[in-house]
Amino acid sequence: MDSNKKYWKGLEELNKTPEFVEKNKHEFAEPIPIEDVLTGGGLAGTTPRRDFLKALGFGVGAVTLAACQKVPVHKSIPYLIKPEEVTPGVANYYVSTYEGSAILVKTREGRPIKIEGNPNDILAKGGLSGQAQASVLDLYDSNRLKNPMRDGSDYGWGQTDGFIKSELAAIKAGGKKIRIVSSTITSPSTLAVIADFITAFPNSKHISYDAVSYTGIIQANQNSFNKAVLPHYNFDKADVIVSFGADFLGTWISPTEFIRQYVQNRNNKSLQAKKMSRHIQFETGMSITGSNADVRILIKPSEEGIALVNLYNALSGTTLPGSKKLANNPNADKAIAIVAKELTAAKGKALVVAGSNDVATQVLVNAINSLLGSYGTTIDLDNPSHQYSGNDAELVEFTKEMSRGEVDAVFFLNANPVYDYYNSKDITEGLKKVRLKVSFADHMDETASACNIVAPNSYYLESWGDDNAIEGYYTIIQPAINPVYDTRQAEHSLMIWGNNPGKDYYTYIRNNWDKNLLAKGGLSGQKGWETLLQTGFVKATPVTSGTYTFGHDLNAVAQTILDHSNLLAADAGKVELQLYQTVAMRDGKRANNPWLQEMPDPVSKVTWDNFAAMSPSDMKKWGYADGDVIKIDANGYTISLPVLVQPGQTQGTISVAVGYGRTLSGPVGDNVGQNAYPFHSLRNGTFQTSAVATITATGNNSPLSQTQTHHSIEGRNSIIKEATFTEYLKNPSTGSGNESGHKDYNENNLFWQEYDHPQYNWVMAIDLNACTGCGACVVACSAENNVPVVGKAEVGRRREMHWIRIDRYYSFNDDGNGGVTRERELSKLEDLDNVRVVYQPMLCQHCDHAPCETVCPVLATVHSSEGLNHMAYNRCVGTRYCANNCPYKVRRFNWFNYWNDSRFENYLQNDHTLLVLNPDVVTRFRGVMEKCSMCIQRIQAGKLKAKIEKRAVKDGDIKVACQQTCPANAIVFGNANDPNSEVSKALKSERTYYVLEELNTQPGVGYQVKVRNISETEA
Amino acid sequence: MASHSESIIREPLITGKDITYAKITNDILAPVERMPGRAWWIGFTVASLGACLWVFAVSWTFWYGIGEWGLNKTVGWAWDITGFVWWVGIGHAGTLISAILLLFRQNWRNSINRSAEAMTIFAVICAATYVVSHMGRPWLAYWPLPLPNQFGSIWVNFNSPLVWDVFAISTYFSVSLVFWYTGLLPDLASIRDRATGLRRKIYSFCSFGWTGSVKTWQRFETVCLILAGISTPLVLSVHTIVSMDFATSLEPGWHTTIFPPYFVAGAIFSGFAMVQTLLLVTRKVLGLENYITMFHIEAMNKIILLTGSIVGVAYLTEFFIAYYSGSEYEQYTFLNRFIGPYWWAGCMMYGCNVLMTQLMWFKKIRTSIPIAWVLSIVVNIGMWFERFVIIVTSLHRDFLPSSWAMFYPTWVDMSVFIGSIGLFFTMFLLFIRVFPSIAIAEVKLILKSSSEQAKKKILDHGGLDPEQVQFYKESLVTFDSVEIADYEKI
Repeated sequence: MDSNKKYWKGLEELNKTPEFVEKNKHEFAEPIPIEDVLTGGGLAGTTPRRDFLKALGFGVGAVTLAACQKVPVHKSIPYLIKPEEVTPGVANYYVSTYEGSAILVKTREGRPIKIEGNPNDILAKGGLSGQAQASVLDLYDSNRLKNPMRDGSDYGWGQTDGFIKSELAAIKAGGKKIRIVSSTITSPSTLAVIADFITAFPNSKHISYDAVSYTGIIQANQNSFNKAVLPHYNFDKADVIVSFGADFLGTWISPTEFIRQYVQNRNNKSLQAKKMSRHIQFETGMSITGSNADVRILIKPSEEGIALVNLYNALSGTTLPGSKKLANNPNADKAIAIVAKELTAAKGKALVVAGSNDVATQVLVNAINSLLGSYGTTIDLDNPSHQYSGNDAELVEFTKEMSRGEVDAVFFLNANPVYDYYNSKDITEGLKKVRLKVSFADHMDETASACNIVAPNSYYLESWGDDNAIEGYYTIIQPAINPVYDTRQAEHSLMIWGNNPGKDYYTYIRNNWDKNLLAKGGLSGQKGWETLLQTGFVKATPVTSGTYTFGHDLNAVAQTILDHSNLLAADAGKVELQLYQTVAMRDGKRANNPWLQEMPDPVSKVTWDNFAAMSPSDMKKWGYADGDVIKIDANGYTISLPVLVQPGQTQGTISVAVGYGRTLSGPVGDNVGQNAYPFHSLRNGTFQTSAVATITATGNNSPLSQTQTHHSIEGRNSIIKEATFTEYLKNPSTGSGNESGHKDYNENNLFWQEYDHPQYNWVMAIDLNACTGCGACVVACSAENNVPVVGKAEVGRRREMHWIRIDRYYSFNDDGNGGVTRERELSKLEDLDNVRVVYQPMLCQHCDHAPCETVCPVLATVHSSEGLNHMAYNRCVGTRYCANNCPYKVRRFNWFNYWNDSRFENYLQNDHTLLVLNPDVVTRFRGVMEKCSMCIQRIQAGKLKAKIEKRAVKDGDIKVACQQTCPANAIVFGNANDPNSEVSKALKSERTYYVLEELNTQPGVGYQVKVRNISETEA
Repeated sequence: MASHSESIIREPLITGKDITYAKITNDILAPVERMPGRAWWIGFTVASLGACLWVFAVSWTFWYGIGEWGLNKTVGWAWDITGFVWWVGIGHAGTLISAILLLFRQNWRNSINRSAEAMTIFAVICAATYVVSHMGRPWLAYWPLPLPNQFGSIWVNFNSPLVWDVFAISTYFSVSLVFWYTGLLPDLASIRDRATGLRRKIYSFCSFGWTGSVKTWQRFETVCLILAGISTPLVLSVHTIVSMDFATSLEPGWHTTIFPPYFVAGAIFSGFAMVQTLLLVTRKVLGLENYITMFHIEAMNKIILLTGSIVGVAYLTEFFIAYYSGSEYEQYTFLNRFIGPYWWAGCMMYGCNVLMTQLMWFKKIRTSIPIAWVLSIVVNIGMWFERFVIIVTSLHRDFLPSSWAMFYPTWVDMSVFIGSIGLFFTMFLLFIRVFPSIAIAEVKLILKSSSEQAKKKILDHGGLDPEQVQFYKESLVTFDSVEIADYEKI
């Protein structure tokens, strides 16, 4: 119903006065002086009081409203269709394989962010090397090739395939040779693909070589026992280990596995069983293995062979022709007599290894091991290692084939001979005569840039694959992410180019496993495959390892050794040069990995460089200081490198690491150090790692960036505690300060209240006798906790950010007076050769009476009810007092904004590399202190998991990153409130002590005394 | 401070003939009322260039991060806290002079207290800039203050000496500022009364409507006395607390109970040295020799000698305790001062502070202006090195030899320090242009009793012990502002 009612607002409206009608035409009855303000008078115009109030009211209102606007919310886009296995915030683990070791790949939201050892791995039982830990970063390397390349420009896969196929067809018709050059391939399926390729192109051949070669051992076993294999060594079965330059704890064959084996006879458990192996190392440069040895004898490379001949003589009671005393090294001579006695006593439980790649030397070592009955016990020839199977002679022959113009096509798979072949000119010159050159490199590396086609291989984390490091141990590689770039697995490429009937490489692998491999582990079919993808490996029952007896004449061998030794003996004014690999960089393939470049070398603590290591007395003799650049000239090749004083380096020798001096590895690795591969020489069919070198000073100084620059302990025995094994047997408490009962520095509780730890008290035990100093924990920690990389210059300014470090101290013997450790006394010491080394992992001690906590003005670092020392980054204002007051100096300050400062962009800042960050750990802004959190994110995850499963946290549920990667199991973490936890038991050991205990900081990290298996009178 | 006659054997505090109240006002206000001379402009240019360098270097630090300094994982404090403690120490003389000497009725303070207090304030400003700029995140510099906040129930750590320090420095600064400004009021009124135009307006605003009535004066004196009472404990507390920044740690070389008295003595020592450095130049340039006389110079030198010797005793005590404690870390730290890589810094510290100041036992040296000036600089250098040695030489080699490291300053470190000196002198030079550099009212107080002309009148009046007269005459020989010839005939 319509209403005709009219409402009026005032009499004016009712009466419709003319003023009202006039005014009502406009929206506002009274004009708003906007025009006035904007034109004419502008601000100078008079503003009525009311307008002012209006403006004020509007202004205040508007500002208030504007302020009510929330901070813009950046919404993350949820999965449109959530992948079944991905729950945001929950990590997935996939089994895979790294260099033959079964691993777990931790992924978050589809991104691999961490590599962890597979606890069931038979090689390292969950331990991983620094290299393996760092390998995840290379997945996100933005310098990887993003698609195939032809002559330096982008090329599609279709075009590449077409081009290569037509070329190969032409080459096949032409009948010239095709060569596939690779480093050792341990994957059965890859080898099968290559075999298929060779079937398709019968004039092709697979040439396998290793930058650091083990041909000498393989060849020697061929000569001695007619078995061309790399044996599998069992250091755990050896009571006496004698190594001649074999760095088996650092770089030799399978160091992570060997560390595990080695430590089994030296760790707490072994000591409590009154058992400790004895390890004698003869070597030139100070290797990590030598630094762990009970006795270390310095020999020159030229003396190594003669020393072995003498050892053989002493063991066998014969005298090989050409045997002679080590005229200039009476120490070694004396030692050999003692070593022979000890080895004989330990027959069947002895092991002699040599690092040499010389066939004659290795034959002699075989003869010695045969005398000691090592075959079948400490050496296994029947379940051999496949980790290195390269053949030096084949690569040399390949270069000759190329130069003769016989090769029309060459494929480089995981091989970079232009960089790591000793005579790379032969390769580059030879390649010019090759029609089709294909590299599968994922970087435009030195060799790839000499090829026409680069068909980038996918990274192992993006690939299907398998591995067979040791006879009977088959592991699977499964992709943890789709290929980041447009790369394709080399095997797939080879299948396409070889017209392989297989559909793709995945199917190929499955068929291969279905047919050949699954059965070895008692698996079969789809179910077996699925089991494999969960366990990661199959293990065939090992063949019983047979005993072998050496039965050849050694006269010729001894003569060859003698000849070599004469060749290597340096004249006056020259030095003997020894080449070695560093634990971090190994053969240099991962040079573009900043975590590895910044990982301090275990012994020298040098980062971002290689150098010439020289003994202290030689430094004095030559008049060099650390960092002085010298020119090293050997085998017709010259490089300039800074020298570094290395206690324990044999006088008259220098050691230089290979794996540096890459020129096309990427922005991180390029021009870091100098390439030492060309110092190799070919002798007797194998690459030799020593030479005679001339050195000259250049007058320049190029300081090395070391993370530790003071090397002696200054007699401070509350930091490092040591005992000998004989002392330990008499009283297990020797050296720990517990001999006469433990002193309680907190007796009266004078100033400090005890904290309550009602439920958990997270503590750690570190066994100094197990720790080999390998540094894997340092990289694992960086990966887990997003620790920034700061680069050479900043490390040089002593600003590396590592949350855990390995302190390395030298002490020098002075005839049984307990060792010289004070700088002042050291300068008076004549003989600095007789050096002993101790490693001490140092991280936040999570003190109950933490000196850092009291001094922080803003309570940014506080104590938790679980015994941890927390660091609240958000609260930190950066006064750095906590770091000053930390007696352990484990706090790290963010001097710069490492995550967003263009000066550090080479390392971890680009969009791709940021994907490696652990989302459970924030990156820290500049001006903020940081330090070890005991992987609090892992503690939290463990507690949550237990809560979800409605149970208490079990011992071993939570493993911190450093503990998890430690191949030696030197680090134990857990709840001290639980008397049955591993850590509680470990801390109850008589050997336990706390660093700087007398300060009453009540640290949460206990250390166990380092025990050396030396008699007290021994040198 | 009435105008009673003073003993003749006391040396005069104001020299010159025909000094009247008006002349005092004229003399002291001259620099404020005339256009600055060439010397001032040169000094000001150099100083303000330094201040610009400071602005640049501090901005650089804020922009790029503390990493631009030479600090590292082992040495977390170096030139920053060295500079901070050095400036705070320098800032000590002012309050000591104005408060303690006032309470002890040391009239000679009247001529120097103004400049000394100004110096104090500027030095504390310089120190405070370090407090902020050494922080990793200086934009959060207010967090160490116990402010109610919305970050949750976050409070400051009252256990931390750095929080005590924030209180100590801010209290000291505010009390010093109030004391200084209160003292300035009558003098500002004098300027106001003589000024015209804009200057008059400004100064009348600044002088808070000073009328000069008896009641005003009475209140003025009472306030000054109260403020002196408040300031007196501060003289001791500030550097005591600064010393606790170190003493409450467990760092060998820091963890020392002797630090509070040792630091206070050191602070007064360096403070007087800086007063000496400034006033010896100022009195000459501004022609104030009649008001800042040889007596003042010598008195300050005596204090420098005394405090320097206290510091020396403290050094010896430290060494003894290091030996006696049996703590190997402590022992090493002290040995390291002589035989470590920073031995030269240790030598500078002990040489400048202990050996050089012992020269002050000789009156010839105490009363020689050039030597006193050089020694005052030497003391300043020595005290800078003392802090450097305490901070850097202790930190760089503490418990774990694996972490031993060297500290090398960068250009930013040096620029911030040099710049802070520039900032200080800029402020001081501006101060002597706009404020009377000597407390006019307070100097006038003693004109009738302690001036040379008052004494002369007594001498002229005669009837004194000739021995005392002789003593007085001999003491005047050292004065560069007294004409000895006037006394020959007496």
